[in-house]
Amino acid sequence: MRRSDRYRFYIILLGLVVLQFAVTIRLWGRPVGPDFLLLGLLMYSIRAQPGRGASAGFLVGLLRDALTPASFGAGALAHTLVAYLAAWGKAVFFAENVWVNGYLFFAGTWLRNLVVAIASGKLKGTLLGWELLVWSPLQSATTAVAGMLVLWLFGRHLSIRLGEA
Amino acid sequence: MALGADRYTSRADTLVFIGCLLLSIAAMGLPDRLREPFARALRQSVLAPLLALQQQTERLSASLERYDAVVAQRDSAALAATFLTELRSENQRLRGLLGLGPRLGSGYVPAEVLHQAEPTNALTFLISAGRRQGVKPLAAVVSPEGLVGLVSSVDAQTSVVVTWAHPEFRASAMAADGSVYGIVAPHGTDGPRAWLLELQGVAYRQLVPDGTVILTSGLGGVLPRGIPIGTVVGVAGEAEGWERTYLVRPAVHPAVATHVMVLTGPPVKGDLRSLFEPGGGGPTP
Repeated sequence: MRRSDRYRFYIILLGLVVLQFAVTIRLWGRPVGPDFLLLGLLMYSIRAQPGRGASAGFLVGLLRDALTPASFGAGALAHTLVAYLAAWGKAVFFAENVWVNGYLFFAGTWLRNLVVAIASGKLKGTLLGWELLVWSPLQSATTAVAGMLVLWLFGRHLSIRLGEA
Repeated sequence: MALGADRYTSRADTLVFIGCLLLSIAAMGLPDRLREPFARALRQSVLAPLLALQQQTERLSASLERYDAVVAQRDSAALAATFLTELRSENQRLRGLLGLGPRLGSGYVPAEVLHQAEPTNALTFLISAGRRQGVKPLAAVVSPEGLVGLVSSVDAQTSVVVTWAHPEFRASAMAADGSVYGIVAPHGTDGPRAWLLELQGVAYRQLVPDGTVILTSGLGGVLPRGIPIGTVVGVAGEAEGWERTYLVRPAVHPAVATHVMVLTGPPVKGDLRSLFEPGGGGPTP
């Protein structure tokens, strides 16, 4: 792996972080746009060792918890879990395919929302149902589409193995 | 390329994962007095530039939305302003009609002009009064400014009005002082004078100065005497030295008439000219 490839990879991740705070897509007042931060985390995790993925997930989750203090800690837990599973699953199962990655992004987003919703204990009953059956699938779908688009555009720069570092 | 296919979870990875999980659970259990300062520190340090970026983005988004709203409001105001002149003009015409009505007495029917989006709308148009309102064929159709045309045909609720711009329109006319008589007809449909009238058949020796008001003469018994038709603006032509034709600027343009009055009463014996003067009285004998 060339050093420039890794730089490009991190630049893309930085771009995703910026997009997370620069792009807001709402539907009926609810943000259902792609979760670029989670997308970047998943892209990092499936290319890194599970331990690094879990650490990155924890940090990302902790930062997000700082923005949503009502569920402080739940985000860290969810992101840790999702990132670790993505890294582990990638190591064991996944092939390098845009569609497979799309499914991974969808599942990862939905699982993250599920864990946050349950761990925070703030959503119950109908609200939880709406969150998990309506809003989360929407956000997961947009995240998956955005992720596939990123892979389609920059796939060559993302095909690196961070474990070699 | 199967990235990472050659590696599996090591013990270190598992330990790190468990450690992160425990830290997360610990974070969830933090009391508010510890949780909030920590979160605030993150917001004011690592997250500060990102939050600033988000703030700018939201402002930009809000500005765009406000811009659209402002543009919409401006367009509405511009549209309203466009109609304002027309509304004032229509209001003025309606006031004129209100003033004309009592002066005419009971022999009139007010009607709205039902303009159509057709090129020939100014030649003939419908009005919202018909047989049931007492409108009869050949009744004079007037506005406060003067003659608009004649009723051509009458339906139950509507009537067709042939305006002075119609090529077949003719009216017996005279100068306001009664010194000159002739026939008024549309000047034609070509050229820049298309919307003018002609006063035809004026004897060559009779000069009609510009600015002379032309009224209906009442000859022939179709139109009452004294309805303003227009004002002489020049000579249109001469015929073999025995007659002159004068151009007449109409008193009212059919296309701008929105409300009219149809004279339905018995033939008026007197002169109606005073009715069309502001504050005028009844017909003069």
